[in-house]
Amino acid sequence: MNLELPDVAIDFGVAAERAFGDAGGVDLARRAEERPGTRSAVVAPLLGVLGALDLRLADDPDAALAGGELCRVAGRCALPYPVTAVLASGGGDRPPAAIIDPLLPRADHGDLFPRWRLAAIDGTAWDGRPEGPPLGTELGPFVVDMATTVRPDQGDTVDVPMLLTLAAWQTLGSLERALELAVEHVNTRHQFGGPLARFQAVQFQIADATVAVQSLRELAHFTLWRLWTAPLDRLVDALALRAHALESARDVLRTCHQLHGALGFCDEHDLSILSRHAQPLLRLWPGLEATTEQLMAAIDHTGFDSLFGAGATARAAHDG
Amino acid sequence: MDYDLGEQADGLRQRLRRLIEEHLPEGFLGAFTDDPEDLAITQRFCKLLATEGLLAKAWPAEYGGGGGSVWEQTVVREEMWAHHEPRGPQYMGINWVGPAIMRFGTPEQQALHLPAIAAGDVIWCQGFSEPDAGSDLASLTTRATPDPAGGWRITGQKVWTSYALMAQWCILAARTAVKAAKHEGITMFLVPMESQGITVRPIPNLLGPHHLNEVFLDEVSVGPDGVLGQVDHGWSVIREALKFERIGIARYARCDRLLVLLREALGERWDALPAALRARWTRARVHARAAMVLAYRVVDAQANGIVDDADASVARVAATLCDQEVAEVLLEALAAQAVDDGRTRHPVLHGAVEDHWRYAQAATVASGTIEIQRMLVARAALAGEAR
Repeated sequence: MNLELPDVAIDFGVAAERAFGDAGGVDLARRAEERPGTRSAVVAPLLGVLGALDLRLADDPDAALAGGELCRVAGRCALPYPVTAVLASGGGDRPPAAIIDPLLPRADHGDLFPRWRLAAIDGTAWDGRPEGPPLGTELGPFVVDMATTVRPDQGDTVDVPMLLTLAAWQTLGSLERALELAVEHVNTRHQFGGPLARFQAVQFQIADATVAVQSLRELAHFTLWRLWTAPLDRLVDALALRAHALESARDVLRTCHQLHGALGFCDEHDLSILSRHAQPLLRLWPGLEATTEQLMAAIDHTGFDSLFGAGATARAAHDG
Repeated sequence: MDYDLGEQADGLRQRLRRLIEEHLPEGFLGAFTDDPEDLAITQRFCKLLATEGLLAKAWPAEYGGGGGSVWEQTVVREEMWAHHEPRGPQYMGINWVGPAIMRFGTPEQQALHLPAIAAGDVIWCQGFSEPDAGSDLASLTTRATPDPAGGWRITGQKVWTSYALMAQWCILAARTAVKAAKHEGITMFLVPMESQGITVRPIPNLLGPHHLNEVFLDEVSVGPDGVLGQVDHGWSVIREALKFERIGIARYARCDRLLVLLREALGERWDALPAALRARWTRARVHARAAMVLAYRVVDAQANGIVDDADASVARVAATLCDQEVAEVLLEALAAQAVDDGRTRHPVLHGAVEDHWRYAQAATVASGTIEIQRMLVARAALAGEAR
């Protein structure tokens, strides 16, 4: 047992957070909403300098964990860039990858690349290209409608489990930061002669959100490790993580909004930006109930590895 | 990063499962039933574990233990709890009474108690809670006064004391001084339950027999060698004990086992369950996995000698809520059979789900309520100390 992230992943996350912070942190998202070109002009070069585009997640578990850390710190500042899509592409000149709803294909930041590799949760893949500019809505400022064409060659598949897992790491980052902001707020905001934090009703909400964030973090670490060590269970494990991320996001963001009062709805406050920009990863792909349905089907198909349940990898090993 | 417990721990898990299969009757639901044979089974099983060097697997060899790692100890906890704790009440002696005596006891106390616990020869109970000192444990008023003849005389009342009728010894908190701070002036005592002046009254309850008792102490005489740790400094012993308690029960392991077993047991009936209920079952499996990895984080810290109170509380909140969630999902899946127990005709899984539901009601109450855990978590988070 070794539950510590490797130094290379920690260092990568620290360097990325510093670079994003120096470039403005959450202000990058605000600037990008005003001038969408910020994404290509500022954020893409930042990722290039960090070496993010050179990470080969499929080759090496440490690189995958570094990728996870990058997604987490991207989530912490609502980085206006499709980090998961680029990391899961497989590197090189391959187009970014995203999961879509086949009935309404959309990709976050879809306009940044002329070609995409798109897939449904079941792995069915399409070639994609952006159709028009970003929607520019509150919850989907950079969401783009995509045109899909059936791929003649299904061989170059999209790594759906990796996408689901990286997205959960990014959501984790957003929740971590939202909770930090809530803690800061209830410690400094005084009402009835003292800080909000002295009220037990507030303390319990902070406690429950802390449990949710730590729980998601541990499951995110575990799942990325499982992607490497249990190759036949990748989808079921990634779906389990997504279900947990969706539940946690629902509960933690709601709590953080509630504790901030009206202040948290203002775009001047980072919480509003974090909350809005976290939505595309939560909404464009299957939501909690749909993910649970998919997970149930996947468990029927491959099993779910646990102390008393065997996943497909364990069964295959047992059968020799 | 590596979540593999290793070959040694895996081997231990298989060995424990073999012993359980060979030596426990099918449908065994623990020692705390109306059938005295169930307690006898656990006593025999503890002896067997001790003979195999597994009862005190993680204790240092010098105290009669197997010198195993905290991960092996985790495997023992998981397998025992998942299979309805066939160590019966003895888990407490192993998990924290023994470790507390190692840490705070005199060499004589260690020589007297540790080999007996490691051999499976003795049952302990814990005299902490009182009618007016529950979550606010430091308000306890059971009084220990110096005996002019030497030692102490203890008078007061304890409540909710599990296993008190079975136990040979009690680790008991009593007030030896009234000081400005109520946490001060408490002393821990190791008291033989056969002492004159001790009366135990069982309290009928939904958890099952033996879980809840009242213990009355009337001028109970304890020698000077019955004090554990320093006089008036018992609170540090209690804090240490509660820290072990918080990760002591691997609730996620029984949750996982029952989630798997009930689906198998229901067979074709499973597909006829409402989709929403099957969805809850699915999410409960994820929650059990999350509770497990949260517990592993605490064990990992323990292995490195740094157990953080707030981390332990986070793991406990997740595990206890999971326990109750699983209890509800599984009992609902049983529909009209939910009220069957091991004594009715053809209960599903020998009544294990009904038993789990009843006991899960105490998950967020026993060993520190969930409210106290939330306060500890919030305190750390608000101080910027939570991870």
